[in-house]
Amino acid sequence: MEVYRQVVTIRFAELRIREHVEKEGFGGFWHPGIGQEGLQVGAVSAMQDDDYLYYAHRGLGYAYAKGMALEALFGDLLGRRTGSTGGKGGGTVHFADASRHVLGQGGTLGSSFVMGAGTAAASQLLGDGRVTVVFFGDGASGRGTWHEAALQASVWKLPVVWICENNGWALSARFTEQSPTEHVADRAAAYGMPGVVVDGQDAMAVHDVTSEAIDRARRGEGPTLVEAKTLRIRGHYEGDRQPYRDDPVLGDEIPDDPVHRLGEDIADDVRRGIEAEARTLVEQAFDAALAAPRADRSVIFEDVWA
Amino acid sequence: MTTTGTATTGTATSTETDRVIGYSRAINEALAEEMRRDERVWMMGQDIGRLGGVFGLTRGLLEEFGPLRVRDTAINETFIVGGAAGAALAGTVPVVELQFADFLFTAADEIFHKLAKWRYMHGGQFTMPVVVRLPSGVVGGAGAEHSQSLETIAMHVAGLKVAVPATPADAKGLLKAAIRDPDPVLFFEHKGLYRVKGPVPESDEHVVPFGSARIARPGADLTVVATGLMVDRAVAAAEQLAPRGIDVEVIDPRTLVPLDIDTIVASVERTHRLLVVHEASRTAGFGAEIAAQVQERAFFALDAPVWRVCGTDTPLPQDPELEQACIPSTDDIVTAALALAAI
Repeated sequence: MEVYRQVVTIRFAELRIREHVEKEGFGGFWHPGIGQEGLQVGAVSAMQDDDYLYYAHRGLGYAYAKGMALEALFGDLLGRRTGSTGGKGGGTVHFADASRHVLGQGGTLGSSFVMGAGTAAASQLLGDGRVTVVFFGDGASGRGTWHEAALQASVWKLPVVWICENNGWALSARFTEQSPTEHVADRAAAYGMPGVVVDGQDAMAVHDVTSEAIDRARRGEGPTLVEAKTLRIRGHYEGDRQPYRDDPVLGDEIPDDPVHRLGEDIADDVRRGIEAEARTLVEQAFDAALAAPRADRSVIFEDVWA
Repeated sequence: MTTTGTATTGTATSTETDRVIGYSRAINEALAEEMRRDERVWMMGQDIGRLGGVFGLTRGLLEEFGPLRVRDTAINETFIVGGAAGAALAGTVPVVELQFADFLFTAADEIFHKLAKWRYMHGGQFTMPVVVRLPSGVVGGAGAEHSQSLETIAMHVAGLKVAVPATPADAKGLLKAAIRDPDPVLFFEHKGLYRVKGPVPESDEHVVPFGSARIARPGADLTVVATGLMVDRAVAAAEQLAPRGIDVEVIDPRTLVPLDIDTIVASVERTHRLLVVHEASRTAGFGAEIAAQVQERAFFALDAPVWRVCGTDTPLPQDPELEQACIPSTDDIVTAALALAAI
């Protein structure tokens, strides 16, 4: 039920952002995560509160599921002072919440591989029992940083879990044209770690395999590579017409929609209640973010140094 | 950050008797003392454990602190630096070694993007207390990809602090300051100085603050700003020039970010002439930056243009004699100072 509440909230947030991008001629890039909410919430729900999260750039589902406030996330998107980055975000990539152990993201894909392994090395040194979860896309799986991070994490048995959201596309490049193997997870064997493929539209299945991987990491048995198969519903960014795509552009149709799947077992009236509540929460948070002050030029000199 | 610092004479920071030890030993002591002081401090790099580092800087540390705090890695610079960035976010203080400063290009994304910008990009929510130790400069035939002086490149990307110790006392005191600093520090150790000995205070609290230039030799007629291996050559040049009636002041900035420009400007206002000496290639080197800042701030104090004596705009040849021809010699500094003083 809580998973459903989160997934529905994120879906409404995705739709609200899309509406804003379409109507307001939004100046930044929004990489929609619509259709991938199920795997994001499924995986994050397997984490403990003080486990560390490196999210990927598609959507805000991970961060919300890890406990970040919607208003802060929207504030980042809109360049508002109330955003988690204090107004320097102005896009979708660099939100963070130290108190929720959401450690942020780099602008270069795959940089979280090595950083995540390092965070896990710190946990191993401190003996704090925390696990680091690193999300990435099938596109980022091409980076050499993967090799260095996976190699060292496996040798040192670091408490880190890698979760690939394989939606089949790296901007205009099909995964099948970028990978000699059918699955990203096939690469795990080279590093002596388990590689697990799971249906990314099935939130509870993702939850289960992630739980197992996190437990393994916490026991000191090292990393796991989880590959959640999903679909890219919209373009690389909202507004991308995808001229490179030779299969039908999916638009609003979400095959095997994780939201519907989770809702199947919930009584209609309960489900409608959750949805109404989620819609209100999203609208209020978005309105509050829109009403918040924009950051002025003085922020550019903040936070260069501690 | 402040760029105003206090000029000191470098060694007179302890009341205890200074011992004479090597630059390498001073770095090793700084590492050991800081790891004893703060158990969050740890190290990783290639061959730093059992071997004690390719230059022997980390000898004995694995034995004292164990394999969790002194960690040998694979050949994986992106992990060494990027992993340090991630480990800093989780509350530890990583001090990592790249075997040669040149390898900062193999970890460029991690150094120039992750270390330098993570705090800024995320609204100041994180600190990035990482030290990257970078054996730097010519050492005798190490070749074009193992001999560069890249400190200027580190200066150009906002968010990194840059230390360039020239003496054993500063190697120790600046490294301790770097480890205690909440910001990322690129620590350029000159390989050619590793065997140089000098007085180093006994005290555990011998910490040299960043942004405090050292007047290596006081003088009245001409200011020379030099770093690293060039400081000793500048002082040697000054000794040759003294009998010829030119009293040279040598200033060692010790850190380039933050830069103690106040001490340099104050010196130029007394001497009215400035020569900047660096081992790095001339074009767009930090000498150009110092020259620009001094003419902005002290144009009317200058009796002559600011000159530079620098490394050549070439890759460094591997032959030990040829590589010396590519970096400033004491004679080069003497010649330039004589010409500048005559203007």
